[in-house]
Amino acid sequence: MDEPMMDAQHGAQVKVTFTTTEPDLQLPESKRQLLVPADIKRYGLSRILNSESFLDTGSIPFDFLVNGSFLRSNIEDYLNNNGLSLESNLTLQYVRSLIPPTFEASFEHDDWVSAVDVLSRTSPAGRWSGDSFQGQDRILSASYDGLLRIWNASGDVLVTSPSGSHGGHTASMKSAKFLSSNQLASAGMDRTVRVWKYTEAANGSSAELKPTLELYGHTASIDSIDVDGASKRILTASADGSIGYWSAVKASGTEVDSSLLPGAHTSKRRKVTTSITTAQRGPISLMNIHNAPATAAIFDPRDRTVAYSASQDHTVKTIDLTTAQVVSTLPTSHPLLSLCAIPRSGAPLLAAGTAARHITLVDPRTSAAATSVMTLRGHTNKVVSLSANPDNEYSLVSGSHDGTCRIWDLRSVRPASKDEGGMGSVSEPVYVIERESRQGKKKTVAGEGTKVFGVVWDKSLGIVSGGEDKKVQINQGKDVVPQQ
Amino acid sequence: MKAKVLDKKRKARDVSSDSESDDELGNGLFDGVLSASEDEEDYIPSDQIEEDDSESENDGTEGSDEDEEDDDALLSDDIPSDDEELSKLEELEITEPGVDPKPKEVEEDERNYRIDKDANGNDRYVYDEIDPVYDSDDSDAQGPVNTIGNIPLSFYDTYPHIGYDINGKKIMRPATGDALQSLLDTIEVPKGWTGLTDINTGNPLNLTDEELEIVRRVQMGLAPDDLIDPYPDTVEWFTSKEEKMPLSAAPEPKRRFLPSKNEAKQIMKLVRAIREGRILPYKPPEEREREAEEQEEVHFDLWQDEEPQAPNPMHIPAPKLPPPGYEMSYNPPEEYLPTQEEREEWEKTDPEERTKEFLPTKYTSLRKVPAWGELVKERFERCMDLYLAPRVRKNRLNIDPNSLLPKLPSPSELKPFPTVVQTIFRGHEGTVRSVAIDPTGVALATGGSDGTVRVWELLTGRQVWSVTLSSDEPVYTVRWRPTKDAFILSAAVGEDIFLMVPTHSSVTPALDQTSRDVLAAGFGYATNGQQAAIPAGKEPAGKWARPGTKLEDEGVLVRITVRSTVKVINWHRRGDHFSTTSPEGQRSSVAIHTLSKHLTQIPFRKLHGIAQAAAFHPSKPIFFVATMRTIRCYDLQKLELIKIVQPGAKWISSIDIHPGGDNLIVGSYDRRLLWHDLDLSNRPYKTMRFHPKAIRAVKYHKGGLPLFADASDDGTLQIFHGKVPNDQLENPTIVPVKQLKGHKVVNQVGVVDIDWHPREPWCVSAGADGTARLWM
Repeated sequence: MDEPMMDAQHGAQVKVTFTTTEPDLQLPESKRQLLVPADIKRYGLSRILNSESFLDTGSIPFDFLVNGSFLRSNIEDYLNNNGLSLESNLTLQYVRSLIPPTFEASFEHDDWVSAVDVLSRTSPAGRWSGDSFQGQDRILSASYDGLLRIWNASGDVLVTSPSGSHGGHTASMKSAKFLSSNQLASAGMDRTVRVWKYTEAANGSSAELKPTLELYGHTASIDSIDVDGASKRILTASADGSIGYWSAVKASGTEVDSSLLPGAHTSKRRKVTTSITTAQRGPISLMNIHNAPATAAIFDPRDRTVAYSASQDHTVKTIDLTTAQVVSTLPTSHPLLSLCAIPRSGAPLLAAGTAARHITLVDPRTSAAATSVMTLRGHTNKVVSLSANPDNEYSLVSGSHDGTCRIWDLRSVRPASKDEGGMGSVSEPVYVIERESRQGKKKTVAGEGTKVFGVVWDKSLGIVSGGEDKKVQINQGKDVVPQQ
Repeated sequence: MKAKVLDKKRKARDVSSDSESDDELGNGLFDGVLSASEDEEDYIPSDQIEEDDSESENDGTEGSDEDEEDDDALLSDDIPSDDEELSKLEELEITEPGVDPKPKEVEEDERNYRIDKDANGNDRYVYDEIDPVYDSDDSDAQGPVNTIGNIPLSFYDTYPHIGYDINGKKIMRPATGDALQSLLDTIEVPKGWTGLTDINTGNPLNLTDEELEIVRRVQMGLAPDDLIDPYPDTVEWFTSKEEKMPLSAAPEPKRRFLPSKNEAKQIMKLVRAIREGRILPYKPPEEREREAEEQEEVHFDLWQDEEPQAPNPMHIPAPKLPPPGYEMSYNPPEEYLPTQEEREEWEKTDPEERTKEFLPTKYTSLRKVPAWGELVKERFERCMDLYLAPRVRKNRLNIDPNSLLPKLPSPSELKPFPTVVQTIFRGHEGTVRSVAIDPTGVALATGGSDGTVRVWELLTGRQVWSVTLSSDEPVYTVRWRPTKDAFILSAAVGEDIFLMVPTHSSVTPALDQTSRDVLAAGFGYATNGQQAAIPAGKEPAGKWARPGTKLEDEGVLVRITVRSTVKVINWHRRGDHFSTTSPEGQRSSVAIHTLSKHLTQIPFRKLHGIAQAAAFHPSKPIFFVATMRTIRCYDLQKLELIKIVQPGAKWISSIDIHPGGDNLIVGSYDRRLLWHDLDLSNRPYKTMRFHPKAIRAVKYHKGGLPLFADASDDGTLQIFHGKVPNDQLENPTIVPVKQLKGHKVVNQVGVVDIDWHPREPWCVSAGADGTARLWM
């Protein structure tokens, strides 16, 4: 046996057993047991595994999980901290090591960036487009100046949406999503959802963005939008407490309540005159189901007739969209500000960002024993945006007003301490993505100036986030969470 | 006495002899005689006469007529007359009282009863009724009474009678003494004559002198024999003198054999005296003297019974003197001996200043060491030190001070409450004077010293609307109209109150229009002339007007101008009324405005002190007015003062009413936060001092959470858990849960205003550092 580290200092050695769940990195049965020096660290163990006599993989960095948590210091410290003796047999599960979500690029805006979305081959919109999508990766950003911008991966603005006087949004935008490679939807504080037609020049250097549909129905700011490109349906959550279900197809829209249209009442205030007339439609259904501002509404990733909505009234509701009825209500203990579905086999797991600085994971299944599965703690401010990792079913990224995006691994859990309420299990972030615009300066109070408003995790582009620093920031998103 | 008896007998004989002869005459004669002898002799013996009479009657029954004749025969001269006299006496006795003797004879003839037959046929005697006539035979009847009246008797000297009796008959003059005497003188009585006959001999019975003496003695009521001494000397058979041999058979009294208490007392007194040594057995004086001398020489050892005590924890033994060193030796080593300079220096210094009491001195032998002159002084000082140093261990109370604090729930059990700042609203230049979260909990309005009112998106801190109301005056306060049907904001700038509809993009046209209609409704009301007529020449309390096109374009629709700078606005819950307070306004410092009528009223003609704040009760028609020291509660329906709350603060800065309406918090510039239970007392239920500087604002959470907060000039907010129990008997629980730090203090001003989110445990504060902060 090649034992490069066996000539250890004190001679204190620990018997370890290597296991893994990755089929391509299996060790032969005879080599799984090993005596290693007690003061060996992750790097040393990784080198042992990479050595010729073991896996002979060269330089794959490995991380080691002991009893579900990562080995951070050496083995001796771990044993001491956990009250184990040096004689005990330690089982080390090795996984491919994570690469930190390194900063890649950031795109400058004129105003706060409220939401981002990604069009790529792997993004939902790309998948909905199917074969018709041939182009490059695009990033959509919605800004508080009321404009949508579409960027290419190199940071050039391909197109900016027209201003309010030319058919665009008349107020700050809060959310925008690609419906497909040539259609997108946006919504904001002007209470309207707008559907845009996006056409790109063949060489990809320029593009055009044309409003095709204005959807009226909400009586307050629309905070969140979700789309289903396959059925061309849009789901919105508004501060008036209602959830809107819309069609992005002109023909299937309904009549508009004229009182909601601008200029319905003649008043002396400044009127926005639009030169372009766009088709105006109402909602398929408008469900006034929350008694506080609704903050997020999402489609079920598998069943597009089921939606979930989160609200500041502390509840997550499951909605059957075909009947526009609330199926179930899941109470939580805090106002909810964001929601995302983590696809799992069976029903998805819902992650809800709260105003109380943490993320609550709830199981929407009525059969679930405990609705609150897990709490993710670490943010220091409201969690306003969530996005699941497209690669796996156990990690997600969250964007918060504290100016950070945090990557969470749901496998790394511990029981909640008494300070944390003593209920359920708690996880801590794997990585914290700071805003690059801060340039390493001291953290501001309450994330002032660096608040993150929107974050999206795309398979190909990585983690894209936008915030109060008027920037869209792209971080590497591959392999940041250990594979299983 | 003997003579008297004789006199009577004579008289009786005379009378009988006379009365026999002639009634008329005899009467007349005897009358005069009797009347002359007067009452004395006439009446006193009458009893005796009667007795004699009864005897003589008996005699008469026994005797017979023959005897009488015999007697007459026997008595030679006088004796028969005696018998005769007796019978006369009998008659006399009847006639003597001067009563007519005839009725007696009549009585004898007529029986005073008649015989009837009763029902059985037997005899029954029916007696006549006794007629109580004047001269009936009652013994009380008086003798003949002379009825001549009150005239001298001498008038009748010439008549044989001396007057008339009650029947008109003459009362004859009785015989005078001279006539009797002459009669008696004619009769010679032999010595010892008694007029009686000796029964045995038949001879006249004469009595000897001895016999007479005996008779006299008997008559006198004396013993017949004068040998008998009626008054012999007393022989004292039983005397007070105690006999030597007591013959009493009385049982022995108890006191003889019970011990005497008094004596026991006396004895005990003596015993006690002996015990206490006050009574000493006798000793001859010389022995006593000797003993006294001996006593003087006795010395007591106070500590002779002292036992060695175990050292108890409180005992501090006296410090020991240091043991003598080499320098104290009589023959110290050379190095301890002072040099010449040292010696001089030692001698020069004052004895009290010296570090050493002595100079080490060398002696060749121990016996040359002189006596230590300072010994007594040294000993005394040592004793003094020990005496004056209190060698007592202080008994410290070993109590954990925290255990004395009342048991309050831990803040972690009272979650949720705001803990950290989550959003900072920057934009105002200078102090943010006021903050208010709208009733839906989405928008935040702020007013600042720069004269602007801004509306923000609450969660993100995005400014969505702003208007500049004044270029030079600060916006003192902004308050939302507390209903969700309209979106109306009020702001106070100087003497103006602006009402505005801060329509930003997320306000629907319908809501915007409703709000505008609510504000505009009063203009129509005013022009319709329905407003209360204001007397000519009197300035209205508030002028409602449109603020001009420039502001109206921004959404500011109404401007109310009052008389003095408005500092506080408080809305009624229905949103039709609001009160403004302007501390500088004298009379008009508190005003109530009615939105629907565009009417401003000043409810108080006079205020007791400078008004600081005014507020409406959350459910009842009660109005609270806080002056610098007191809070007055007025009933708006009855228009009367209900209560005066006295928080005891020197200068109230703000008040807030609990949504339940029974509790009140007061913040004061003298750093106090006071909780009042209005039902309990006029005095504060709890006084809290958590801030080193003035408290500017206090506010309850109005959305059902038991929270309240204050804002202070030290730049901090203090969050309290204040639960008002449903049970009236329980007191509110007040727990300070969190101090929120973050605002910077600018020019001694820290946090100026505070407001709570309508639902969530979030609060917003306005600071002098130009920021408003959302805490959650």
